[in-house]
Amino acid sequence: MTTPLPESALVDSTPEPSAIGATRASRATWRAFRRMPLGMISLGILVALVLVSVLAPVLAPYPAGYGMDVLRPPSAAHVFGTDALGRDVYGEVVWGTQQSVLVAVAASAIAIAFGTVVAVVGAYVPKLDALISVVVDLTLSLPVLPLMILIAALVGPSTSTIILVVAAFSWPEVTRLVRSQALAVVKLPYVDAARLMTRNHAWIVGRHVVPAVTPVIVVSVVVTASRAVLSAAGLAFLGLGDPTTWSWGRILYEAQQSGAMVSAWWLTLFPSLAILALVLSATLLSIAYNDARNPRNHAR
Amino acid sequence: MHYRRSMIVGVAAAAALTLSACAPQAPEESGGGSAEAGDATLTIATTTDVVNYNPLIGNSRSDYWITNLMYPHLLSIANDGSKEPQLAEEWGYVDETTGYYEIRDDMTWSDGEKLDAEDVAYTMNAVKKDAPSGTFYGQLANFESAEAVSDTRVEITLTQPDSSIVEEIGFWGNVVPQHVFEPAGSTAEFANDGSDGGWVSAGPYLLTDVQVGQSYTMERVEDYPLVEGGTPIAAKVVYRVFPDVNTEILALQSGEVDVIANALPPAQVEQLRNTDGIEIAEVTGLGYAHMVYNMQNPDLAKVEVRKALAHAADYQAIRDVVLQGQADSTGSSPLMPVLSTYYDDSIEEYEFDTDLSRSLMEDAGYTADAAGMFPVSFRLIYSLQDSVTSQWAQLVKESSAEAGITIELQGTERNTYLAMTNEGDYDIYAGNFAIMDDPVTNFTLSYLPGGAINYTYVDDPELNALIEEASAASDVDEKVEIMQEAAAIVHEQVYDNIMYTQNLYMAYSSDWDGFVSKPSELLSIVNPVSVASAFPVSE
Repeated sequence: MTTPLPESALVDSTPEPSAIGATRASRATWRAFRRMPLGMISLGILVALVLVSVLAPVLAPYPAGYGMDVLRPPSAAHVFGTDALGRDVYGEVVWGTQQSVLVAVAASAIAIAFGTVVAVVGAYVPKLDALISVVVDLTLSLPVLPLMILIAALVGPSTSTIILVVAAFSWPEVTRLVRSQALAVVKLPYVDAARLMTRNHAWIVGRHVVPAVTPVIVVSVVVTASRAVLSAAGLAFLGLGDPTTWSWGRILYEAQQSGAMVSAWWLTLFPSLAILALVLSATLLSIAYNDARNPRNHAR
Repeated sequence: MHYRRSMIVGVAAAAALTLSACAPQAPEESGGGSAEAGDATLTIATTTDVVNYNPLIGNSRSDYWITNLMYPHLLSIANDGSKEPQLAEEWGYVDETTGYYEIRDDMTWSDGEKLDAEDVAYTMNAVKKDAPSGTFYGQLANFESAEAVSDTRVEITLTQPDSSIVEEIGFWGNVVPQHVFEPAGSTAEFANDGSDGGWVSAGPYLLTDVQVGQSYTMERVEDYPLVEGGTPIAAKVVYRVFPDVNTEILALQSGEVDVIANALPPAQVEQLRNTDGIEIAEVTGLGYAHMVYNMQNPDLAKVEVRKALAHAADYQAIRDVVLQGQADSTGSSPLMPVLSTYYDDSIEEYEFDTDLSRSLMEDAGYTADAAGMFPVSFRLIYSLQDSVTSQWAQLVKESSAEAGITIELQGTERNTYLAMTNEGDYDIYAGNFAIMDDPVTNFTLSYLPGGAINYTYVDDPELNALIEEASAASDVDEKVEIMQEAAAIVHEQVYDNIMYTQNLYMAYSSDWDGFVSKPSELLSIVNPVSVASAFPVSE
């Protein structure tokens, strides 16, 4: 998780004691994590979803065009049934996984990167901290959903819009979480010691502050990703998703638009189950990881 | 979320209007009813609130449905687009530039004032003067003034001969009470929201209570001569607002509402037809869905390219799958079969043939790349609230790709779509018009330079001359002949690509009967005469 900086090449190649400690801690965390069935199941589901998204072309043909069997309930030919244009809902859910995972990964990556940088810089440079705190508080107090809807409606629906909009409203959460941890870290003696070694603040932040807040980042990656999926599905359901790419939200949106929600339960059930699986497992995973990271659980 | 099936666009079409009917044709004859004025309440589901209570402005569907129950039209329309008497009993021309209406003498406003020719003349003159946005004003291009020559006769003076205007004004325009609207000032600004003591209605119902976002309660006007028996049957009509068509269907199934005013999504019709307690009424379509190619785009200015696009869509599949067979081909002509006098069956639909499209593109001087794609890309706009168009836009994109033509879909929220339409901000426009009842008027608006819905930006001297000739022609046969010639040009040059006329289906509870179906979603079974004639079926 260390950001590779050119300066790191100058450092003695023998591992620092803190690095060894970190390795030990992560092993202990992993051992504790493996003992948690919920965490492992969640991890399994997330891995499966990622696999589905990568293997989508193998699992189902891209749902396009139309079919003559309109709104058919699940059967052997169409295990998840067909939609109002006779397309296979199974294929839509599979390809929707791809878009959902993409949104989750991209939006949370942007939010995490931006949020972490802002948080760490804020913690490290006290003069900026007040300003950053105000901006974060301000952004957190905004009514997020209406703003997302407004922006998505103005810019026009596309996957990149969705990613940017979700990321734009997710970073303050990350910043707040990371900042509280970073504030404690920058006051520790080893950071002061690092300051004596170099005037390269970027190196200190990259080498010492960011690694110390990594566990918090890991938790927020998962939480932000699941929130991104929910937001993206919500926007897509409101018709603000990309109308040309399959997503879980789009399946729901089209079911609603075609007035089929009342009669065709399979149109809403399967994408909803997919959303539930992703969000629930992400949440459980972050809880399990948090518990596993707690040293008190390592001893047992 | 608003569900709207047909988009109404532009002036004429924004048109979608209303009216009420005469000469009922009941969609279904069934027994055991009490067709006498009683104390029943008819509950109707809609998805939008009323935006405007002033019928001369008009906006959402609910505006038309509710104001139509209070402000009558001079003429009604039949399923073939011909006009029928409503407030006016006779109409026609005195000479080339003078038209007339003879109106009924037995209509009164709910406050006791007589509805007379003065109200009619006042309404027309006020609309001409104040220019409220809406279809009514759009129809008044050649109108100069109206005069009440007696209590029951109105004469209108035209600026130039126009053989359509009497029927078009009579059909599209409501009549409002002069004694209420005149003191309120400009008809373009009068909100008519009942804030100064409620509304005044000529029947069949009078709006009495409004709960925004919830319901609109209307009470019977006892004396309404247009309905059999002279009194509307249901004592009350309540319009209830629902979020979308799914919740409307649930409410109908649970008995919460008696009628869904919005047309059913095509895929739901068969399902509901087989549901106990629900009846389906068919409503003739009198409009069309189409794609229009913007000729301001240098590629689309070439007729070969427009033809290539026209041959790269599978219209039959669109009608079979998206519309579930509930639509008729117009033979790619703006003269729809439903307008039987004008229809010309020698014009045939553009055949779906991607090889033909490719050779047309090559004729136009384009060369396909290694992947078989021509170096063009067109942006097709449509409204996301229009689910039928949203669905077929996908099919058009996919079939065009087979022909090597890239179409980029740009579905937007309805208001953005309307703004883009008005600015000509598109390569291909996809949408539909609810009522295209008069070919001459429609051609004038669609194909003359500067026409309100000339989305092609076409200016073809030959076509212009034909339309102007037809507009002045008073002999029907002559008019039909000219219009068929004009339609052939539109078809040959692909100035417009008419895809189908959709027939609509309305759902209502089997506890009610006696509805009178009229063309288009705006009139359907919620037109004034239908609502006033509906009666509860006794068990």
